[in-house]
Amino acid sequence: MPAVPSALLFLYQRSLINRVRAQLARARSPRYIVAVILGVLYLWWALFRNARLGAGPFGTLAGSATLVPLFGSLTLVIAARWWLFGSDRGALAFAPAEVQFLFPAPVSRRTLVHAKLVRSQLAILLNTLIWSVLLRGGGGSAISWRRGLALWVVFSTLSLHRLGASMVRANALEHEHAGRRRSVLPLVVFVALLGAVAFGVLSQWPALRIAMQDGIGALSTAVIHALQQPVPSFALWPVRALLTPVFALNAADWFSAIPVAMAVLLLHYLWVVRLDTAFEEAALEATQHRAERLSRVRTAQGFGKTRSRTGRLARIPSLSLTGRPEVAIAWKNVAAAMRGGSWRTQLIIFTGGLIILAVATRSSSAHAGDVFLGVTVGWGAMLLFLGPLWMRFDLRLDLQRLSILKTMPLSGARIVAAEIAGVTFLHSITVWSLMVVPGVMIVQDPELLRSSGATLPMLLGIVIAVPTFNALMFTVQNAAALLFPAWVRLGTDARGFETMGQKLLTMGATSLVAAVALVFPCGIGVLTVWLSSVFDSPLGTWSILVGAVLACIVLAFEIWPVILWLGTVFDRTDLNDVGAPA
Amino acid sequence: MWANAARANAAHERGSGIRMTGSAVIEVENYSKLYGDMVAVQSLSFVVQPGDVLGLVGPNGAGKTTTLRAMAGILQPTSGTIRIGGIDLAVDPVAAKGKLAFIPDEPQLFDYLTVTEHLQFVARLYGVPDAAPRIPVLLEELELTAKRDALPPELSRGMKQKLAIACGLLHSPSALLLDEPLTGLDPVGIRRMKETIAARAREGTAVILSSHLLHLVEELCTRLLVIRRGQRVAFGTIADIVADRPELSGRSLEEVFLALTGDDAEPSIAR
Repeated sequence: MPAVPSALLFLYQRSLINRVRAQLARARSPRYIVAVILGVLYLWWALFRNARLGAGPFGTLAGSATLVPLFGSLTLVIAARWWLFGSDRGALAFAPAEVQFLFPAPVSRRTLVHAKLVRSQLAILLNTLIWSVLLRGGGGSAISWRRGLALWVVFSTLSLHRLGASMVRANALEHEHAGRRRSVLPLVVFVALLGAVAFGVLSQWPALRIAMQDGIGALSTAVIHALQQPVPSFALWPVRALLTPVFALNAADWFSAIPVAMAVLLLHYLWVVRLDTAFEEAALEATQHRAERLSRVRTAQGFGKTRSRTGRLARIPSLSLTGRPEVAIAWKNVAAAMRGGSWRTQLIIFTGGLIILAVATRSSSAHAGDVFLGVTVGWGAMLLFLGPLWMRFDLRLDLQRLSILKTMPLSGARIVAAEIAGVTFLHSITVWSLMVVPGVMIVQDPELLRSSGATLPMLLGIVIAVPTFNALMFTVQNAAALLFPAWVRLGTDARGFETMGQKLLTMGATSLVAAVALVFPCGIGVLTVWLSSVFDSPLGTWSILVGAVLACIVLAFEIWPVILWLGTVFDRTDLNDVGAPA
Repeated sequence: MWANAARANAAHERGSGIRMTGSAVIEVENYSKLYGDMVAVQSLSFVVQPGDVLGLVGPNGAGKTTTLRAMAGILQPTSGTIRIGGIDLAVDPVAAKGKLAFIPDEPQLFDYLTVTEHLQFVARLYGVPDAAPRIPVLLEELELTAKRDALPPELSRGMKQKLAIACGLLHSPSALLLDEPLTGLDPVGIRRMKETIAARAREGTAVILSSHLLHLVEELCTRLLVIRRGQRVAFGTIADIVADRPELSGRSLEEVFLALTGDDAEPSIAR
């Protein structure tokens, strides 16, 4: 084997082995042993015991050619984000040590690109494994292997596409005119594809408006029909070619589809490799420098910039120099979210979009309000469960600076509480912003809100419950970071779709813990409402609000001792546990 | 080998004349730190009085940073007692930490707070009553005024170091722990920093300064603590150390350091 590839292979092989060894060595600690046992049980339950999707309703859907255009459009939207807002750092960046050793070494840029591709395969293979099992429980059957291979092709192609998009964008930004000229063609092609899909959907607008009146099921059928029209269908062809083998139910369909998918993968590979030679020798360094600069001025959360084009810094609430010291920690995290995560910009766009959509759908048909309210509730639930995974401006960010936290003249419990409070406050505002939907409905037609079943006590109950629920979810996330710092990803860098499977499993585990914690509070809340109705209490529908308040109090009594305990864990946590610099 | 060394160290301790006095700002008594089976620091004892600048020197891996981290409350000692301003770090860590400042060799700053906001943050955290007038003075003293609205990623390595030091000085700590404080500073910055450290000492702050720059140590420090393989090999003024090792008389500090930390060095000379 040539020297350079064998050296890179040695680097990645030894790094992996040593990392696994270090992780296993930690399992000697009692808390990690318990985590391993619980983790294995959870994986067995989530992946094997509970995964029968392939044999269930998913299997029927898979054969109906319904999912391909839907997933195809979704994939196109994800890819559009890579092109428009840039890929996250993971697509581009080499680790600092790799930059130090590999870039000055006598290694061709093409070899470095290949090294990057080989390295990404680990995450892709793990993700493929998780999704293969999730989509088809049991494993070992021929269809599982076929689906696994098809998923690998999809994930590998998307990974290549993201890398290619990153290189084109970085080159355009680094080399201005010359770079932009070279980036024009891929951008034109991509915008044309997106435009074709948008045109297909908009050309079917009358049919979509009618479908809105018949509910979400009819609407999704109409959207799929619109996507199957010649123009969007043609635009979606490459994505469809990729996805078809995944949803093929029999061997014949799979064997006829997989060569085309492989061809798309091959074309992507040739594109990325050719990008390297088409650009000058410095292209990859430029990419790297760009990635490093981006990582400094923005986190991978959203598309926030720390400073505006004119150099102005995002404004944050001012901090009084006197008062409770833990407020300073919460304030610092709010500042990080507003400057690093561009929280305020995203909130304004999000809320503004909601208002526009609420007005637009209300005026499009009589039942559109119901559809939109349903979508809002779904979106709210997603924010409640997924938000704490996205918003990481708490101990997950600060544990990397444990040496600073440890010198602060505050007890561990107060530090942990402050870390959780900052993100809970911000995320509660995000979820509360969904209340603009009932607000718009009341402004447009109060009867509309009444007919949807939403009442004032119910809305107030939600407003009160949101921060308590968020506090619970962020406590779970921070507890995981504190208890298992060596196994939890610290920092704010979001990882790509390659880790989608792991994210899904993490979300499942978090929800499971939250569900257990919610049993008693929810029981109290439901009992209050039930007793009120049985005994014909004068509270009437306001019993919902009373129930929500009681549930929040019980939940707060559950969370507080956990935070005190986490404070003692924080005090005992050693820098070596976290791998933080001194 | 370690057990013999510990016994030797304890014997020196008894004869060293170290007394944990009530007036000492920093008191370290039989501090040991173990990582699993590895001994990082063993039975280290010393005191630092107000106005003292103690130079903590030793070869790489001697246990200097581990000792500083323990005094800053970042690491838990395996055994021994550390008191800051008479407060036991293990008994009341919050009160003890309120009296000290630790500036690590690699400045750890918050990416999304400006220079001024860092100082405001520290003021609130430590409850500094006169922070508003002190902040501009500190910024001026450390030549940070022009960068007061900059974020850490926009600062040079030296500027980051100055900001970390400004944050450490804002609450007027009784004990100042500095780990390689001159790293990344330009010659002007080095001179300013030396003046700042000396000024704090004159005001009564007990300073511990860990550095490999022996000329800095010689210039600033009133006493030296030389450690090697986690053990004290010398403690006192240079004159005290030389007095205990007459063969070192007339040699430069570098030669003294090499003699004390070489493989044939013996623990422990102390005052």
